[in-house]
Amino acid sequence: MTTAEFGTHKWGMVVDVDKCIGCNACVIACQAENNIPINTQDRVERARSISWIRVERYWEGDFPDAKARFIPIMCQHCENAPCEPVCPVYATYHNSEGMNVQVYNRCVGTRYCANGCPYIVRFFNYWEPVWPESLRNHLNPDVTVRSRGIMEKCSFCVHRIRRESRNARSAGVEIADGAVQTACSSACPTSALNFGNFNDPDSKVSKMKEDKRHYTLLDQFGTDPNVIYLAKIDADKKVGAGEAATHG
Amino acid sequence: MQQRRELDQVYTNRKLLNGQLDTPKWWLPTVSILGVVVLIGVVVIATMINKGLGVTGLARPVYWGLFITTFVFWVGISHAGIMISAILRLTQAEWRRPVTRAAELLTVFSLLTALVFPLIHAGRPWRIAYWIMPYDISRGIYPNIRSPLIMDPVAISTYLTGSTLFLYIALLPDLGNLRDRTTGWKNAMYTVLSLGWRGNPRQWKMQTVGGILLSALMLPIFVSVHSIVSWDFAVAAAVEGWHSTIFAPYFVIGAVHSGVSAVVTMMALMRWLWKWDDFIRPEHFDALARLLIVVATGWLAFTFLELTFALYGQDAPEIALREMQMFQWPWNALFIIFFLTAYAIPVPMWLFKRVRTNIALMFWTSILVNIGMWLERFLIIVPGLARRTPFVYTWEAYRPSAVEWTIFIWSFAWVTFLMLLFSKFFPLVPLFEQKESQVFTEDVMIGRAKIPAIIREAD
Amino acid sequence: MKLNRREFLALTGKTAAGAVIFAACGLPERELIVQSPVDLPEDLVRGEDAWYATSMGGFSNGDGVLVRVMQGRAKKIEGNPDHPVTRGKATARFDAVLQLLYHPDRISNPQLRYSKTGNLSNISWDQAEERFANALKNADGALTVVTNPLRGHLGSVASKFAAQYNGKHMAFDPVEQGVLHGAVKSVLGQDQLPTFDISNAQTVLSFGADWLGTWGSPTQFGVKYGEFREQHDRGYMIHAEPRMSLTAAAADLWLAPVPGTEGHLALGIASVIIDEGLVSASNVAAFEAAIPGGVSNVTLDDVAALTGVDADRIKKAAERFAEHTPSVAFGGGSAGAHTNGSFNLGAIYALNILVGAIESKGGIISNPGSAIDDVPASATGASFEAWEQEIANWRAGNVETVIIRGADIVHGMPNSVAIREALEHVPNVIAFGAIHDDTMDFADLVLPEETFLESWGTEIPEPGPGYQVVGTQQPVVGPTISQDESGLVSDARGFGDTLLAMSDGSYGRDMESLVRGALSDLHSTGRGSVSAASASLFTNGALQRGGWWDTDNNGSSSVGRVATSAQGANYSDTDTLGEGNDFHLVPFVSNSIFDGRLAAAPWAQQTPDPISSASWSTWAEINSIQADQLGIKEGDVLLIRSTSGEIEVLAYPHPGVRPGVIGIPMGQGHRKSGRYAEDRGSNVFSILVDEKDSETGALAWAATRVRVQRAGKRVKVPKFEGNVEARPIEPGVPVLVVGVGETAVDAQEANHHLYQKQFLGERKESGDDE
Ligand SMILES: Nc1nc2c(c(=O)[nH]1)N[C@H]1C(S)=C(S)[C@@H](COP(=O)(O)OP(=O)(O)OC[C@H]3O[C@@H](n4cnc5c(=O)[nH]c(N)nc54)[C@H](O)[C@@H]3O)O[C@H]1N2
Ligand SMILES: Nc1nc2c(c(=O)[nH]1)N[C@H]1C(S)=C(S)[C@@H](COP(=O)(O)OP(=O)(O)OC[C@H]3O[C@@H](n4cnc5c(=O)[nH]c(N)nc54)[C@H](O)[C@@H]3O)O[C@H]1N2
Ligand code: SF4
Ligand code: SF4
Ligand code: SF4
Ligand code: SF4
Ligand code: SF4
Repeated sequence: MTTAEFGTHKWGMVVDVDKCIGCNACVIACQAENNIPINTQDRVERARSISWIRVERYWEGDFPDAKARFIPIMCQHCENAPCEPVCPVYATYHNSEGMNVQVYNRCVGTRYCANGCPYIVRFFNYWEPVWPESLRNHLNPDVTVRSRGIMEKCSFCVHRIRRESRNARSAGVEIADGAVQTACSSACPTSALNFGNFNDPDSKVSKMKEDKRHYTLLDQFGTDPNVIYLAKIDADKKVGAGEAATHG
Repeated sequence: MQQRRELDQVYTNRKLLNGQLDTPKWWLPTVSILGVVVLIGVVVIATMINKGLGVTGLARPVYWGLFITTFVFWVGISHAGIMISAILRLTQAEWRRPVTRAAELLTVFSLLTALVFPLIHAGRPWRIAYWIMPYDISRGIYPNIRSPLIMDPVAISTYLTGSTLFLYIALLPDLGNLRDRTTGWKNAMYTVLSLGWRGNPRQWKMQTVGGILLSALMLPIFVSVHSIVSWDFAVAAAVEGWHSTIFAPYFVIGAVHSGVSAVVTMMALMRWLWKWDDFIRPEHFDALARLLIVVATGWLAFTFLELTFALYGQDAPEIALREMQMFQWPWNALFIIFFLTAYAIPVPMWLFKRVRTNIALMFWTSILVNIGMWLERFLIIVPGLARRTPFVYTWEAYRPSAVEWTIFIWSFAWVTFLMLLFSKFFPLVPLFEQKESQVFTEDVMIGRAKIPAIIREAD
Repeated sequence: MKLNRREFLALTGKTAAGAVIFAACGLPERELIVQSPVDLPEDLVRGEDAWYATSMGGFSNGDGVLVRVMQGRAKKIEGNPDHPVTRGKATARFDAVLQLLYHPDRISNPQLRYSKTGNLSNISWDQAEERFANALKNADGALTVVTNPLRGHLGSVASKFAAQYNGKHMAFDPVEQGVLHGAVKSVLGQDQLPTFDISNAQTVLSFGADWLGTWGSPTQFGVKYGEFREQHDRGYMIHAEPRMSLTAAAADLWLAPVPGTEGHLALGIASVIIDEGLVSASNVAAFEAAIPGGVSNVTLDDVAALTGVDADRIKKAAERFAEHTPSVAFGGGSAGAHTNGSFNLGAIYALNILVGAIESKGGIISNPGSAIDDVPASATGASFEAWEQEIANWRAGNVETVIIRGADIVHGMPNSVAIREALEHVPNVIAFGAIHDDTMDFADLVLPEETFLESWGTEIPEPGPGYQVVGTQQPVVGPTISQDESGLVSDARGFGDTLLAMSDGSYGRDMESLVRGALSDLHSTGRGSVSAASASLFTNGALQRGGWWDTDNNGSSSVGRVATSAQGANYSDTDTLGEGNDFHLVPFVSNSIFDGRLAAAPWAQQTPDPISSASWSTWAEINSIQADQLGIKEGDVLLIRSTSGEIEVLAYPHPGVRPGVIGIPMGQGHRKSGRYAEDRGSNVFSILVDEKDSETGALAWAATRVRVQRAGKRVKVPKFEGNVEARPIEPGVPVLVVGVGETAVDAQEANHHLYQKQFLGERKESGDDE
């Protein structure tokens, strides 16, 4: 009955950028799992679309040496999260399992946290989320439909964690490594996204994060993220050359 | 106050109470028009609350825009009142007397207006009760006092309370005066409001001591309010251009710059509208302009330091932001306008006495300063957020919507509207201060020598 | 190849949840509420969910999925971890299907058009069946059943139904794979598409096929790609495509040949390999035997000139391909969509002969035939040539009844066949579907169809995993059509069930009994992944696992010969098209709405395209330098004109397109298709010209040349990317790129120095080094 206890895990994601093909399966899986409202054309055009995980594409070089690099970015669940201390109502705070959680009910929508977040992964609900009545059938009952006027962001699929830990607790076992998969990591065809418990030294993610390619985003801010990236490999890059060297 | 004219008491009373005792012809039409603008603004605000912030131009990553800019702007303006009243009172600058009331009023009304902005810019304003007061005690959930957004309402409401008391205490003698000159419902109103003011020595003494105590008390608040407002930005470690270490004093001095300029604008208006040429005189403008030269230059030094610190660290994103602020369209245009209006045009002009004593020029230069100071806040807040982070999928521009501009205009109409409404019922120039000043400056015979009644006259 | 199925299942997370996942059918009766000890809102998870295994009919190449159902509603579609093709993973298109199930514009009633010019009005199923029966009365010898390419029982029912009336069953696929099937048949002697052992390959060389995004079996290939990169020395991927698809972006080496010269590129690669003596003589002999005319007359310089790919790049690709084996070559997509498509694909697949990659680890693995008699394991659309004849027949009034299902022919056919006019000459057009599409505008009878989530069937994935697979498809929710806020109306019927009901009954009563019958036949073979004492236990077991597969039953191949000597590509003319600049049009399948079949789903519409990040629209990708030269900016409305017509698209310049090529996504420009797709974007199919593959008669959909003119308007491209071109300019650029063996720290250091130098000049750089 140990690891199923609350607070004994430190959940984290290891993103192998080298495997990400930019397919966006994670994006839609998250959208479906977390009842994210439809990003209508207007919202997309006005930079108001909500996408708890986004796959950015960077260009390097010019034709014929052009390279497109993809990287999935979601809330980094910073241990030292700049979004947290600025929230006047503790609507976003750190829980004991290494996650930055968002309490929609408390949020008043100041968007201060979003200004504080260097990764720009917080999304504001400008409009009341609306679905045609029939599409409400596919809403996930485990996840709140956020009302207008509040912040939302990647939750590490906290409801899935709760469900798994509940199952483990009632079965009297520990949560097996890999038993909790977030919607995005579960969808990702190439296993670029890997979710697990960093507190367990034997877990897949704990081992992966020791890879010599590991880095975190914007480490100059000292946010200590729980999302660890493994660098993209360019088979033709000269070691020590710096990536900008490949510019055309 | 060299060319002082002897004014008789009756003339002073009649002239300074002309707002209350006989309404000027322009008053009703002006107030009505402003009232309509205010009404439109209120409807737009209500619509925005009803529909959601989607009606604004805000978008990822510019989550704060016109509203917060205007909030900072009005908080800045509010520094006028305390600057004029408290500081000048404590330093016993005699020329302050005719403008103290109006300056304090401006403080109260601009604070009231400023407070509206953080309220309506929130996604769910009706839940603000969560963080203005810790009402959820039963569940042990208190507001997060580490957040400047909690310190903001605390500081501002303290400032507002203090300023209101300050204003009221100074108003008491004039309320007594008005009570004695009115009949009917007005008399009843002034009777209640004047709190039994009889003008006896004890009341005068308490009124004076109260004013001085409040002045002293208000000074730290004065410094803290805009410091705290600056922390709204300074604690956001991730936003280049926001986390500057000098923000607190920088914001305070900027506030004084814009606040005092606003007082100048207002004095010129009062002089024209109520024909108070005898009370608001060129030497007042002269004094304020000289003060402004010092304040503005101090502020310029901070502006320069802000840029220097940013560049000295050779922190690439910080440099990139400055590059964007100063050299990229449309920020570069705004930056030039900002620099010209906030400093380069007005301050050199003020160096000339002919300008300082020319009411029209003072009016227009003070307006320029506030255009510039509004832009200063805009240029800190918006480019800071619209900065190019390493995440290029988040690079977006911000264009305020018509709704935001309407609410922005509403705030100006609303402050003016309140001022004019106030002027209908209360004197904008404090009679007692005016007369006190006259008494102090009357010559008295001591022996054969004719000397001023007070020796402390500064000017 | 003997892939151990259990390898894939090695205690992944899903197995722990297996007990829940594979619960038997039926709605959960009990609701479990467990509250965790800390009362935070995110702790409260209530309700028991059920996961049903089924197969994704019509929306993917036979992926096995798990559907999460709560209180009778489907909530989520994920990959079935037990399914040998899908292995628990997904594509961006999976969940979007839910929105077709619950689409607000789903057709809720049969609808009848009383006269060709009239409107549709609701009728009852009884009336509809009567009308259907009438339409069949005179249809003997004059019936055509049009469907999407169907494998599994639905395919056999459609074919048998057509046969019963001496009619035809024609499959329509706007992105024709006929050339691919033809090339695979002629070079490898296989009927089924083969699969590729990417996981174990050292070098993958692919042409034209967006196999990580939309081509073949993206889920299967995506999982294999992950394994490919996980290998000890990571694998090396070479991809040739004129425009950068997401597959090209994943490649280590991207070659961008002139469209239609892919076959020559393959031969060029072969000639380098042969000239440098990188492979054994016997392999060379086998290869040359497969190429009509051999490769002795092919020179690297000629190939470089013809394909527009630098000689040293071709050389690099060739050396890598031959030296780092096992390697595998395959192609498809736009590489085969030319007048010389069969030659192109033939030459590409023949490369495998050269490196001995056929039926070997890390190479091409052929797939066996169907495990069930009469049930097709492979399907492809009828050739464009056949369609032209068929449509001419319609126009001539020779066809009495056309039954259409899963194929929006009015949207998918080029203007040149004048499909609308032809349909008007068919007395009875009966269209099945869930959402009103462009074709239904010409239907006399519209029948509301169940989605695959509501109906029975089987699905045989193609390409399969290299052994026999039968995926089962079962209703995971009741037929639910939300008609209005008042509730759910169920009035849809399965296509198969309806055909069977209208048939003479000789080949089945309904789809469920066909599926159950087939499963019990499989049981009697005594082999495969499910073993059970009785047929009914076997059936339940197969349904719970989402199907049946037999890892021991593999395919085989024989080496043949590239089937064409027509090596040069023809393109359409642009001489008469007025003002503008000439471009080569390369249409591509959208990663989200596919060829348009998912256009109705808002999730699919909103999914950012991987390369442009655009959504909700039709854009055109052109080379950024060329765009600069032509003064074309992002968001410029472009008029794209071919001899078949004109469309409007939004310009999106980027560096990943070959100059002279314009890439336009397929699938938009529907006149109908529900509120989210109607009148949105432009239909690139409509302007394709009627060039055909010389061998198979398939539509050469990448052989159209167009004239591009600016319309003089500029609008915002609805894209997720910010308003500036995304290039790594900041020191903290999120994608850190390391060389082989380099650590992230070293790369970061190197980047930082480079950046400082760039930004602050040499002085600072030397200062840093002190
Ligand atoms: N690398 C680097 N390090 C530096 C500096 C630098 O430039 N670079 N600057 C240095 C300088 S100049 C300074 S001043 C220091 C600042 O260093 P600190 O003094 O550590 O500053 P704060 O982070 O403000 O920490 C103050 C703590 O007091 C708490 N606190 C707030 N109000 C109260 C109160 O009323 N009572 C009590 N008991 N606690 C309260 C706060 O929550 C916070 O935890 O950092 C120094 N360190
Ligand atoms: N946002 C924010 N504001 C704060 C604080 C905070 O924590 N956060 N803390 C407050 C406190 S306690 C303090 S003491 C002040 C400190 O305020 P500042 O003194 O402004 O502190 P810094 O930003 O540390 O340093 C200022 C600049 O000096 C540069 N510098 C570094 N070394 C040298 C040098 O050798 N010579 C010269 N000429 N320049 C150098 C730095 O690069 C930087 O650009 O800030 C106060 N304001
Ligand atoms: S990534 Fe942003 S939102 Fe997430 S914890 Fe860090 S600062 Fe907060
Ligand atoms: S938007 Fe919500 S979560 Fe963010 S700081 Fe404001 S109240 Fe807190
Ligand atoms: S029942 Fe649903 S809506 Fe009501 S309080 Fe609970 S979670 Fe909120
Ligand atoms: S962990 Fe869950 S919430 Fe976060 S991005 Fe992935 S799917 Fe979305
Ligand atoms: S699903 Fe995986 S491979 Fe696809 S975009 Fe997301 S992280 Fe990348």
